[in-house]
Amino acid sequence: MRKKVRSKLMSMALVFTMAAGLLSGCGGNNVAEADKNTITIWHDKEDAVAEVLQKKLEELEPDVHVVLEKKSDLTESLKMIGSDPKAAPDMYFFAHDKIGVYAEMGILAPITDIIPKEELNVYMDNTLEAATYKGEIYQLPVYYETLLFMYNRRYMKDDEVPKTTEELYQYMQDNTAGGHYGFVEQHSTPYYAAGWINGFDGTILSDDGTPGLDSEETIAALKYHKKFVDLMPGETEYATVNTLFKEGMAHSTIAGPWLVPTVRANGMDVGVASMPVIDETGNPISPYMGVQGIHVLKNAAENKKSAVEKVLRALMDPEVEVDLAKASGCAPAMESCYEMDEVTSDEVVMAMRDTAEHVIPMPNVPEMDVMWTVVGNLLTDVNMSGKDVTESAKAAQQEALQLIESMR
Amino acid sequence: MSKVIKRVATFCFMAVLLIAMIPQTIKADETSDAKKAVYVQVPKDWEAPCVWAWDDDGNNAFEAWPGEEMDADTTNEGWYYIWVPAWANHVIVNANEGNVQTAEQVLEGEKDCWITVTGADNANVTYDKQTKGKTPEYVEKFAIHAKVDDSWKNPCLWAWSVPDGTNVFDKWPGMEMKQNDNGWYTAKVPVWVNSIIINANDGSVQTEDISIDAAEVWVTVDADGKAEFSYTDPDKQEVPNITVHVMAPSDWDSPCLWAWSAPDGTNAFGSWPGEALEEGENGWLVKEVPGWVNSLIVNGNEGSVQTSDISVDTGKDVWLAVKDAENFEVSYEEPRVDTTEDVQATEDATEAPEVTEKSDSSNAMPIILMIVVAAVVIVVIVVVIKKKKAKNK
Repeated sequence: MRKKVRSKLMSMALVFTMAAGLLSGCGGNNVAEADKNTITIWHDKEDAVAEVLQKKLEELEPDVHVVLEKKSDLTESLKMIGSDPKAAPDMYFFAHDKIGVYAEMGILAPITDIIPKEELNVYMDNTLEAATYKGEIYQLPVYYETLLFMYNRRYMKDDEVPKTTEELYQYMQDNTAGGHYGFVEQHSTPYYAAGWINGFDGTILSDDGTPGLDSEETIAALKYHKKFVDLMPGETEYATVNTLFKEGMAHSTIAGPWLVPTVRANGMDVGVASMPVIDETGNPISPYMGVQGIHVLKNAAENKKSAVEKVLRALMDPEVEVDLAKASGCAPAMESCYEMDEVTSDEVVMAMRDTAEHVIPMPNVPEMDVMWTVVGNLLTDVNMSGKDVTESAKAAQQEALQLIESMR
Repeated sequence: MSKVIKRVATFCFMAVLLIAMIPQTIKADETSDAKKAVYVQVPKDWEAPCVWAWDDDGNNAFEAWPGEEMDADTTNEGWYYIWVPAWANHVIVNANEGNVQTAEQVLEGEKDCWITVTGADNANVTYDKQTKGKTPEYVEKFAIHAKVDDSWKNPCLWAWSVPDGTNVFDKWPGMEMKQNDNGWYTAKVPVWVNSIIINANDGSVQTEDISIDAAEVWVTVDADGKAEFSYTDPDKQEVPNITVHVMAPSDWDSPCLWAWSAPDGTNAFGSWPGEALEEGENGWLVKEVPGWVNSLIVNGNEGSVQTSDISVDTGKDVWLAVKDAENFEVSYEEPRVDTTEDVQATEDATEAPEVTEKSDSSNAMPIILMIVVAAVVIVVIVVVIKKKKAKNK
């Protein structure tokens, strides 16, 4: 008898331990027993942004309890467990570029299943365009980000800011000496090089998921960009470029708005200007735009519709976007915010608004997943290994097509 | 009981708040940019007066004795001024390259002050204004260092701003530069300067116009006046080469080394994937790189597999045991490595890369949780068994 009791208890302990192990492997997120008024949102945002969201969502208590959970590996985790209602979150806050991947996996619900489409007309057209995949809107936009042209006023005076890329090139030639640089950027990182490619009317990936690496325009962009690369340091990953600018070793850069508070804290009088116009095409350097917003997982849309709607409506309050602009320089996705003094007085936000006229939303089709690596290798070949641009572009195009084919 | 708990909780909360505030206060003081003006009138034979300043904790305002040279106040003859950090409340006035000096003068608060020096033993501090007109505004300055040919005597600096043409100095040949022990001459100019000329021999020899950034700069001038400049100290760049030793994974074909200096981004090799590692001793692959290198990547298969960025100390030979793209160990003495397996971790590694640490800690969490849960379950089992025993009795 005692043996049986002990063996039963041991079995229970084993099961319990295994279950605990499985749960801990899933990040400790168990929604199986969660009530319909508890909403778990994953995000990967900095504290300033998360605090604004948290504060707003706390207003929903006690009707809806929102758990805002920071996940550093959000995208990969969603790929693995997004279809498991026990482990997946109800919603996630992230950039729009993974929408295609998750929509094809069947784990996302269109926002219009919960909020009528006509109510989304308050958002800027290009943010809604970014949120749309195969005709459905899968993201409620909150704010957007794009790269900006920044300069250190100690070295580059306001009237010296280059208006065209040839003026920029001349400035680089005149001011790159002794270990200082007239201009630096992450020249061999796809997200940064995309601005030059788009400005030449080239493309990394078209809307229908076709790579455009060997197009005449993309090759022309890579060839033209190379002469600028030759006046920059060879190693230009994120930390190097930001440090060069922050420490006063580079006069100007193209970087994200998140760099502004850092360099200001370092005592820099930083200026923000429009992107130089590419002399060859008449288009400005046209970087990608990332739209940050909230997405609803299908399971939550079906089983917690009321609570999900309350969360979405809370985040549709323009004050949230204004607070985010003030807290972290986020550019509001809602058109009406640009009539408010708190927003119009922010130099960085307004620079993003100006730049937004020419930016291209990051492709949100699943094929983009393979393009980052392929384009990164292409840029390394062209900019750092000195390989022939046309041959490298053709080889990269073939590699991209093969990888995309293997996805299907 | 609940009142007691509340009081204890409140006390703990207040204590935490107080502790949290202490370092912030110190930090705020240390990082303050506030300045105050120190005006000094010195005897006529005190040339090029300087101020040495510090605070009660011994923090110095300037790098080295005799401190910072003062500027003459052109509207108040005989008076010199300098801006010092507002926290500096002890000063010594000195001149003639530090050969004459006052005793320590203790200053009150963050107020501007006027010091009248009539001799080394006689200085009087007052906070009542002793000069006419406004105190010149504080302007940040930067140092210009020059190394000139031996035929160039008494080098001077001429500095101005382009395009407006504003000069720093009243007349050619400008300010005489001070000679340092290391053979360089130095002078400081305001940050609005972007053009300079180095000259010597009473202005009879000179460089061409040199466009510079407002940042500490080292200019080397040859006998013909040809100048080259660098924003890093050329003497510090003369670091001997180092040898990088690598143990690469066995499935990485033709391992190469990519090396550079962060944050300036100067590469050791012309193009990616760098240069091939060569056979060394004890199974190590080796490559010699410049001593200024502080960042490395080991790669293989023509650059298609690689480690993440590996930060290393400059000027030291280094041993890298690379297990795979994400796991490697760095040491500055040859570690013992079991070469019979792919690559083993070294016992005497002096630095563990962050990547390895992160992956170790993230792997450990589920294990720790499982151990805790298992321990709780065992305790429950023991309790249940004991209760059953008690019942049976």
